[in-house]
Order: sequence, then structure tokens, then C-alpha cells
Amino acid sequence: MVAPGSEDRPRQGRRPFRAQLNKLRWLVLSLVFLMLLALPFLAVYQSYVAAHAYDLMSPSEQHFYDFMAWLTGPITDNPEQDFNLVKGTTWSGTLFGLRLSDPLAVLSQIAAEHRVFTAFLLTGLIPLVATLLLGRIYCGWICPATFLYELNDNFAVVLRRLGIRLPHRRLDTRFKYLVLLVGLVLSAATGAVVTAAIYPPAIIGREIYYAVAAGGFGSGAAFFLVTLLFDLLVARRGFCRYLCPGGALYSLLGRYRLVRIQRVVGDCNDCAKCNAVCEFGLDPMRDGFGQECNNCSACIAVCPTDALVFRLTPRDQAPQGPGHLGREYKRSQALQSGEAGEGGRTEAA
Amino acid sequence: MRRRTFLERLMQGAVLAGAAAVPVGFNYLMAPTAKADPTRHLRPPGAPHDDRAFNAACIGCGLCGEVCPPRCIRFYRHQGGHKVNTPYIDPEQKACILCGLCMEVCPTDALVKTPRDEIRMGIAQIDRAACYPWVDKGVCGACAVVCPLGEKAIGFAFANMYRPVVKKGCVGCGQCVEVCPHPDKPIRIVDVALGTVVPQPAVPGGGAPPPAPAAGGGLLPY
Repeated sequence: MVAPGSEDRPRQGRRPFRAQLNKLRWLVLSLVFLMLLALPFLAVYQSYVAAHAYDLMSPSEQHFYDFMAWLTGPITDNPEQDFNLVKGTTWSGTLFGLRLSDPLAVLSQIAAEHRVFTAFLLTGLIPLVATLLLGRIYCGWICPATFLYELNDNFAVVLRRLGIRLPHRRLDTRFKYLVLLVGLVLSAATGAVVTAAIYPPAIIGREIYYAVAAGGFGSGAAFFLVTLLFDLLVARRGFCRYLCPGGALYSLLGRYRLVRIQRVVGDCNDCAKCNAVCEFGLDPMRDGFGQECNNCSACIAVCPTDALVFRLTPRDQAPQGPGHLGREYKRSQALQSGEAGEGGRTEAA
Repeated sequence: MRRRTFLERLMQGAVLAGAAAVPVGFNYLMAPTAKADPTRHLRPPGAPHDDRAFNAACIGCGLCGEVCPPRCIRFYRHQGGHKVNTPYIDPEQKACILCGLCMEVCPTDALVKTPRDEIRMGIAQIDRAACYPWVDKGVCGACAVVCPLGEKAIGFAFANMYRPVVKKGCVGCGQCVEVCPHPDKPIRIVDVALGTVVPQPAVPGGGAPPPAPAAGGGLLPY
């Protein structure tokens, strides 16, 4: 894949920090997911400490209590109070006293209630500002469903290697905006926050809690399984790309984001690895990022010549033509130097 | 011709909107509305009296259940239609202790912070044709003993140590229901408008309820 020309800049020594961001992202995703797994257990333990007599517990509950006491003993000696610092899910929760909510939750609650509850509106402010500046980072860096969807996508790669043919349809990415609109309209019409039930990160947080602390999975688990199958059997990352109402909202909010991935055309060799790795089917090789990019930096990590960089700018670059390390550009340069008057076939890419 | 293209566009729009509603519809299919016994599906304390207002305000985040120390707050997981993922309390399983943590943690106005005496989850209603002391089947008084609000909410009939009488101060937490030893739970939490005593048939002709002693509790031999 890497252009073999001798004058190509070989990758020397350590890669830049931005190339490690994808690993950092995976770390963040895993931590958020682990947190969502751990919080229900902590909540159960907390309720045991606060309101249950040890002697009256069943043996299994006592085992659980002892285990949690051993696990959390080094961290806290007052589990009843201290575990209140982190509560809830990514849909809405408390992080060290700071209340945060998903902007989609705020928007659909306003739609369902037909009025604005200011205290709740404020909880959505930090995520909103973060999205305005950084784009869909929630989708790429935090969303617990993304964690599972990317694992699902890797599973699909394994299946393909085993020779199982999986279809990979491309649908219209604008469909999710319609899902968002219909969700909000239905919320307003039925007086219930219906988007909560079709938004995978809300489902994941809730279903983990249900399974651990409330007696078993709810109906959302089935919904999520169907979306996993949709991703596997219909379209790669299909739910996020084409259906997710939250993704639609974040895409709209992140349209004029300040932090963008851009291509340095002088370093690009047209290998198209970025296009292959992009889970959202974007076109980094031809500067096609748009509002759907979630700044996940997978393309930066995979780029063999480190030609993709983060820049502070509210707009994407206009298409810059083939990369200067690629064959096509060199051919056009040779033509140009050979016979004057050739306009450079930059458009032909 | 232009009219035809307009109609075609309209049809396409309708089909697309219908397709966009498929996830929501799927969810309704997975969690169908079920007839629920309202006395076993109380909303947590601080909820507005109008259940539709509560449903519109609740985003289904589950925080109230997560902080509840006795873990009495449950969720509509498989049923409820548009109520799915909203919380309820079944006092027959586990009753609210009125600690107020759920009201504190709720991010929306679904659960509003309310002083303990002003909470209105409902009111306890006693079936005097079943309650053990009321039908002279023994002494009990568990409901009055366990009540977190004490004398304001539940007391005994005049000159009788054990026949419970619910008073206006009852907030409907359901502790009495949880503790009631009768298998049929002659004490239940109902809507405040329904009153504190189960209305008895005027003529005891149905055969079911044995003659209860004069309602209101007189001087009765024990």
C-alpha cells in the first residue's frame, strides 16, 4: 500500500501523539463501559449498607456484600455516602456532583412536556458546548453503544475472514435526521420521551442497571440486539450511520465544530487506508469529512504517512486533489514538467 | 402532471416518515400496554398527581432506582407502552421509606423535592371486612406501628387498641401495606379521592363479607 518511491518520507522513529489518540479513545470507551457495569453493583452494595441488615441477608447476598466490602474497602470507608458521587448513566447522571444529561434527553423531554424545565436544560449545557466545539465526540469517545458496535464490527471482520459473506449496504445517511424528527414529533404527540427507548446508549446504561439490580433485562435489550444484527447483516455501523436519533442531533450540532481532522495533501500517498477504516463511511482521502465525522481519529492512527492532522477551523477544506506522495500526482507532475500547458489532472481523482 | 408529482412526493414522504417511526413502533411492540393494578404501581414520592405529566417529564434514566436505599423503586421493563422505563413502587413487595433521595437525584421535574408531610403518593385504604382486628380475628396494629409518620397518618379506632384508622396525614408510602400480615392485604394505597375506608355493600347480601362490626368503631368487647 505504501508508495515505494525512494524519495517518500519514510516514517521515522516515534509516531506523533495524535496517532496514539485512537488507543486513548479505546481506553476512554472501555472505562465508560466498565463504569456503567460497575455502578449498578456499587448501587446494590450501597443499598445493602444503607438499608439492609447483614444478618438478615441471604448467603449469596452476604457473599456479594463481603466481596464488595473487600473491593471497595481501600477506596472508601463510607460507601453509603461516597458512592453518591458518581451515579447514573450517560443518558443522565451525576459525575462528582456535576449533573450531566444527554442533549437528546433534554430536547425530547422539552418536546414531550411542551415546556422547558430550566434545571434540566442546564444539565445538558456542558455536553452541548462540547459538541459545538468538538463535533460528535460523544459518539466516538464516550457512547457505551459505540463500544459494543465497534466490537460487533470487529466481529464482522472476523466473520468475513472466515469466508462468511456479509452484505454491506449503503443507505442514505440523512435518514437519521428523519428518525430524530419523527421521534421528537411522537414525543410531543404521545407525551412520553419515546427517544429514550430507541437510543442505544440510553438503552445500554439502563439495561445493565436492570440486569444487575432490577431483576433482569428489559425490552430495550431486545431492541439493542436487533440493532447489532442490523449492523452485522445489513449495513456496517448501520444504526449509528442511518438511524440513531442522537447521532443525528450531534451531527447537526457539530456541523460547525472547531476541531476537525484535515488532510495535509503534501504528506498523503492516496493509500485509502483511512477510507477503509472509517466506521462512518466518510472519505478522508478526498477531504470528505462533513458533519458526520466524530473525530474518533481512527484514520489518523491508520495513516502510514501521518498525513491527517487535527486543526482548529470551523470548515472543512475544499478537495485538494491527489496526495503529493501518490502515483497519480507524480504522473501529473511529470506530464506538466514534460509538456507545458497540461492543467494537472487533480480533478480526475 | 404537477399534481401527480406532488402526490407522489407526498406518498414518498409518508412512507419515509413511517419507516422512521419503525424503531419507536418496534419498542411499543416489545413493551405492550398491560392492565396494571394501580395500588401496586405507585409513582415515587414527589411525582405530580397527573400521571401523564409525570410520564412526559420522566426520561427513563433510572437514577431514582439507583439511589433508593431499600430498592423499592422498580421500572416498567417489559410492559407499559409509552410508560416503559418509568419508575413505580409496588408497596406489597417493598415500600418507600420517604428518605427523599429519589427526589433529590431526579434531573427533571418528574420528581419534585417535596417536604415529607406534603408527599401525595396516595392514601392508605383499609378494608374493614378483612383486616384482622376489624373482623375480630385477633390483635395486630402492625400498620400503625410501622408508619413513619405516626399519629398524624394512622391511629386506632376510638377505645380500641388494634383497629387501624387512616387519617388525613397519610402520604401513601405503603409501609403499612408491606408489613400487613394478611395475605390479601386489606390495606392498600389508593388515589386520595377514593378515601380511607373500602366502601362496604349496603346490604350484606353478596355472601362474601361477614358482618363487620359497626363502622366507625364503637365500644366493642374484646
